[in-house]
Amino acid sequence: MTQIRYHKVGRRSWEWRLKPTGVEERNRARLPGSKRHWLKWRDVHNPKTLKRERILVDKKPLWWTLGLSALVAVTPFLPNSMISVVSIFCIYAAINVLWTLIVGTAGIFSLATLAIVGAAGYVAAAANVYLGVPWPFMLLIGPLAGLIFGAILAAPSTRLDGLYYALLTMGVAEICRVFVTQLRALTQSGGAITNVDSFIPKDWFLQRPGLLLGFAGAFLLLLGALLVWRLVNSERLGMLLRVAKTSREDEAFAEAIGIDFRRARLMVFVISSAALGVVGAFYAMYFRSISPQIFSLDQLLLLFAMMVIGGLGRAEGAVLGAAVVTLIDKGLIELGPPRIILVAVIMIVVTIFAREGLTGIREQFRDFRKRKSGERRALRTEKGGEAMPEEATEIHDKQELYYRRFNKRLRDRLKKLISPELIEEHRLDPLGHHSDALARVLNHFRRAEMADKYVIHRMVPSEERFRVMAVSGQRGMPPRVVDDREYTEIREAYHAVFLLRVNDLLES
Amino acid sequence: MSELLEISKLSAGYGPLRVLHEIDLTVRAGERLGLVGLNGHGKTTLIRALTHMTGWQQGSIKFEGDEIGGSRSLGAGRRTPALVKRGIGVAPQGDAIFPGLSVRKHLECGAYTRSAWRERRDRIDGVFDIFPPLRPLEHALVGKLSGGERRMVSIGRMLMTEAKLYLIDEPSLGLAPKISASVMEALWALPVTGAMIIAEQNVSLLTGRTDRMIGLHAGRLRGDVGHVELA
Amino acid sequence: MDLGLIVYALNLGAIYALMAVGISILWSSVGIINMSHGATFAVSGYAAWLVTGAVKPLVAATFGKTVLASTLMAGTLVASALITGALCGVIIYLLAFLPIHDKPNFQVRALIITLGLNIASVQGLLWMFGPRNRGLPKIFGFGRWEVWGTKIRFDQAGTIVGAAVIMGLTLAWLRYSRRGLEVRAMMQNAEGAAYSGISRQVTALPVLMLTGALAGMAAALLSQTIFVSPTAGVIPLVKGLTIALLGGLGSVPGALIGALLVGFLEAIVGAIPYLGQRYVLFATFLFIIAVLIIRPRGIGGLLDDTRE
Repeated sequence: MTQIRYHKVGRRSWEWRLKPTGVEERNRARLPGSKRHWLKWRDVHNPKTLKRERILVDKKPLWWTLGLSALVAVTPFLPNSMISVVSIFCIYAAINVLWTLIVGTAGIFSLATLAIVGAAGYVAAAANVYLGVPWPFMLLIGPLAGLIFGAILAAPSTRLDGLYYALLTMGVAEICRVFVTQLRALTQSGGAITNVDSFIPKDWFLQRPGLLLGFAGAFLLLLGALLVWRLVNSERLGMLLRVAKTSREDEAFAEAIGIDFRRARLMVFVISSAALGVVGAFYAMYFRSISPQIFSLDQLLLLFAMMVIGGLGRAEGAVLGAAVVTLIDKGLIELGPPRIILVAVIMIVVTIFAREGLTGIREQFRDFRKRKSGERRALRTEKGGEAMPEEATEIHDKQELYYRRFNKRLRDRLKKLISPELIEEHRLDPLGHHSDALARVLNHFRRAEMADKYVIHRMVPSEERFRVMAVSGQRGMPPRVVDDREYTEIREAYHAVFLLRVNDLLES
Repeated sequence: MSELLEISKLSAGYGPLRVLHEIDLTVRAGERLGLVGLNGHGKTTLIRALTHMTGWQQGSIKFEGDEIGGSRSLGAGRRTPALVKRGIGVAPQGDAIFPGLSVRKHLECGAYTRSAWRERRDRIDGVFDIFPPLRPLEHALVGKLSGGERRMVSIGRMLMTEAKLYLIDEPSLGLAPKISASVMEALWALPVTGAMIIAEQNVSLLTGRTDRMIGLHAGRLRGDVGHVELA
Repeated sequence: MDLGLIVYALNLGAIYALMAVGISILWSSVGIINMSHGATFAVSGYAAWLVTGAVKPLVAATFGKTVLASTLMAGTLVASALITGALCGVIIYLLAFLPIHDKPNFQVRALIITLGLNIASVQGLLWMFGPRNRGLPKIFGFGRWEVWGTKIRFDQAGTIVGAAVIMGLTLAWLRYSRRGLEVRAMMQNAEGAAYSGISRQVTALPVLMLTGALAGMAAALLSQTIFVSPTAGVIPLVKGLTIALLGGLGSVPGALIGALLVGFLEAIVGAIPYLGQRYVLFATFLFIIAVLIIRPRGIGGLLDDTRE
C-alpha cells in the first residue's frame, strides 16, 4: 500500500472571534463629528458551521489603549528620576510620531524635524523671556513659528529627490545651530535661553508634583501627536497620499487620475511642522530653557535611531523605538558613553536582520512563510490541472474547482483514446465522418480557449502554401508563427494542427 | 559530439508563479539551438535559469559534466558572474548595457578572462569586423546609440571572450524588421565554435539556420518543432 | 585675490575632494551612502596617532634627528592612516554590505547601518581616549616658502600635493585598470555587469577599501592643520556629503569641481571683513542649497548627457 501524502490545507488562522446570537443589533456607535466607527468590526460566517462570527479586523487600537493606559497607571508610582525619563520618552515619542508623518505618510525624507522643533522652541521662548508673553500663548506662537519654518523648508522638497533633500535638511539643522550660537544676545549663556516660564509652577520645578505635572503634560502631548497622525492618515489627505506612496509609477498614476500628490505632501509637511512647533514650545517650557544642543547632529541621530529600531514610517514603531532608546539613553545613564554604543549596536543588529524594524518583524516572518509555501506549491502545480487543496480554499467560486476537476478527468480519458490508429485515421481523412473516439477528441479540441488556439494561414492568397499559427487570444495582438514547416496541401496542414494539439493534450 | 549541457528536471519561477515545468534538454558542443515559443511561455526564463537569474529554481543543470544547477529560492544573480566566467556568454533580453561607457570600454567589459583582457584590442577589432556599423561609433557613449546599435554592442560584449555556450535572448526584440534581419545575419555569420541557444519569437528568422529548433509551450518543451512525436 | 588665499582655498578643496570623491564613488558603484565616512576619518587619525606615538622613540633612537627619520615618520603616519582606513572599509563591507546586499531596502538599510557604525565608533573613541585633542607629528615640518611675496606653509603645500597625487592615482585606477572598468560598469547596470562576469560581492570590497583609504588619507593630511579628536569626523562627513551632493551624487568630476568651488567659497567668505570665519558654514550651505534648487541633480547633472 502506498503512503498517501497529505498537505496542510487552509488559511484560517486562529483569531479571537465573537459569536453573536444574531438577535440584538450591533452597536454602531460612531466617533463624534465623523462617520467613523470606534472599532473596525466585521461580520463574517464560519464556512464550516455556517454560524455568524464577528472579528475585530484592526486590533491596533486595543494595543494602543492597553499600552498608553499602562503608562498612565504605572508612572505615578515610579521614583522621581524614572518619572522624568518617562516624560522625556513621551516628548521624544511625540516628535517621532510627527516625524513618521513626514517620512511615512508624506514620503519626504526630511532630517529637519529637530530643527523645526528647536526653531519653534526658540521663538516661543524668546517671546516669553524678552517680550513677556505669558506661557499659554507660547503654545500658539510655537506652532505659528513651526508653520512658517516648515513652509519655507517644504518648498524645495518638490524639486529635490529623496536623498538630496535629506542631506539638505541636515544642513539646515547645522545652519540653525551655528546661527543660534552666533547670536550676540545669547553669547553669555552659550546660545541658550533660560528662565522660560512654564505650566509647572516655579517652586514645583524638579519636585515630585512638578514632575508629575510635567508627565501629564508630556503624555497629553503624545496623545495629541497620535491624534494628528491618525487624523491626517485616515482622512482625505492620507488617502490621497496612499495612492502615490511606493513608487514612481504610483506617482504617475496618481497624477493621471488627478491627485495633486505634491500639494498633499506639502500639506502634510506643513501640518506636522505646526504640530512640531507645539512640541518645541512644550520642550522649552518643560525644561524651562532651550539650548543649541537641540540642533546637534547627535540628538538628531538618536531620534533617527529610535525610528529605525522601531520601524521607519510606522507610528507604533516610532513609539516603541523611543521607549527602547530612551530607556537605554536616560535610564542607564551611569553607564556613560557605552550606552550610546549599545544603542548603535541594537540599531545595526535590527537593521541587518529586520527589514522594517522591530514592529515589522511579524510581517517579515509572514512574508517569508508565504514565499516558502508559495514556492513549494508552485512546484506541484500543473497548468490546467486540478486545483490543489490549499489553492482550493482560496478560490471563492467553488464551481471553478469542479470545472477544473472535470476537465482534468476528461483529458485523462481522452489521452487513453489516442493511439497510432486514431492518428492514422485523422491523417487519411481530416474532415468528414470519424470514429466515435476521434470525434470525441476533436470535439474537445474545438472548445479550447482562444488563447494559443492554432489556425492555418494561407501564405499567399492564390497559392496553396500554408503554415500553422497560434492566435494570441488578445485583441490587437496578431497571431504568431508556430514552427518553420510549410504545407502545400490544406489536408496536411489540418493534420499538423491535429498533431500539435494531440501533443499539447498528452503533455498537459 | 559530446554533451555540453545537460538539463534535467529543471523547474523555475518567480514566487508562487511557476514558469518552467521539469524541463529536460541536452545541448551538444558546437550546436545551434533555436528556442521558439510564444510570449510568456518560458523562453527567457529558461535562459535566465541557466545563469541563476530567476526568482527560484530547482533541478539539475550539468555544464561540461559539472553540476551548476541545484535548488535555490533566494539570491538571484549571485552565482551569475561565476557561471559567466566558466564559459557561458549571455546577450540578455533588453541588452543590459552601460549607458555611460563608450562602445570600446563597453566591449572591454566583456573581456573578463586574463587572456581576453590582454588581447582586447584585437578582439574589439574582430567585433567591429562582425558589426561594421560600430566601428565609427567606437568612442560614442552607448547611451546615445540606437536600439539596433545597442543590440550589436550587447552581442559584441558577449563575443569578447570565447565561451563554450552562448545564450542569446530575443535578438530581434524591439528592432525594425530590416535591422533585426541584419543583426540575425551577423549572428549566423559569427565565427564561434561554442554552442549557441537563441530564444526567438519570430520563427521565420530562425528557419533553416539552426541545427535544431525546440518549442516551448506553457513551460514545457514540445520536442523538435515540426517533428511531433507520440509519448 | 592674493596667492595665499588661493593656496588656502586649494588646501580646503583638496581635503573636501578626498572626502567627497570617496562618498561619491561608493554611492555610485556599491549603492551605499556611507555615513561612517567621518568615523573612518576619526579612527584613522587616532590609529596614526597611536602608531606614530609608538614608533617615534624607536625612530629617534635609531636615526636621531636626520632627514631619514622624519621621512620615515611621515611614511609611518600616512601608511598607518591609509591601512586603518582600508580596514574600516572592510568592516563596513562585512556589516553593511555583505549581509543585506541582495535584500529589500538595501540602500536605506545600508545608510542606517553605516550611521550606526558612525555613532558607535565616535562614542567608542570618546570612551577610550576621552574628548582631548591629539596632535600628530608634522610630516611636512614647520616652515614656509616665499613665493612672490606671499608665504606658503609647508603643510598647506604638502596637503595640496598629496591630495592631488592620491586623487590622480584613484582617477587613473578608475579610468584605466580592469578593476576600475568593472566598478564603472557596476555603477551603471548591475545586471549587465553580472552578465559580464563582474561580481558585486568581489568588486565591492576593493571599492570600500579604496574609499576608506581616501578618508584615511584625508585624516592624515588634515591632521597637519588641526588636531585629532573623537568628533573630528563630523564636519568632514557633513561637508563631504553635501559636496558629493553638490557634485551630483555619483559623479566623480562633479564632486571634484564641487570641492574646489566650496574650498574657494569658504576661503573668500572667511576673508571678507564683515563676515569672517563664523559665517563660513552658513554661506556654504546656502550656496549648496541654492545650487541644488536651481539644478536638482547638481553639477554632475550638467556634465552628464546620456540618454536613459
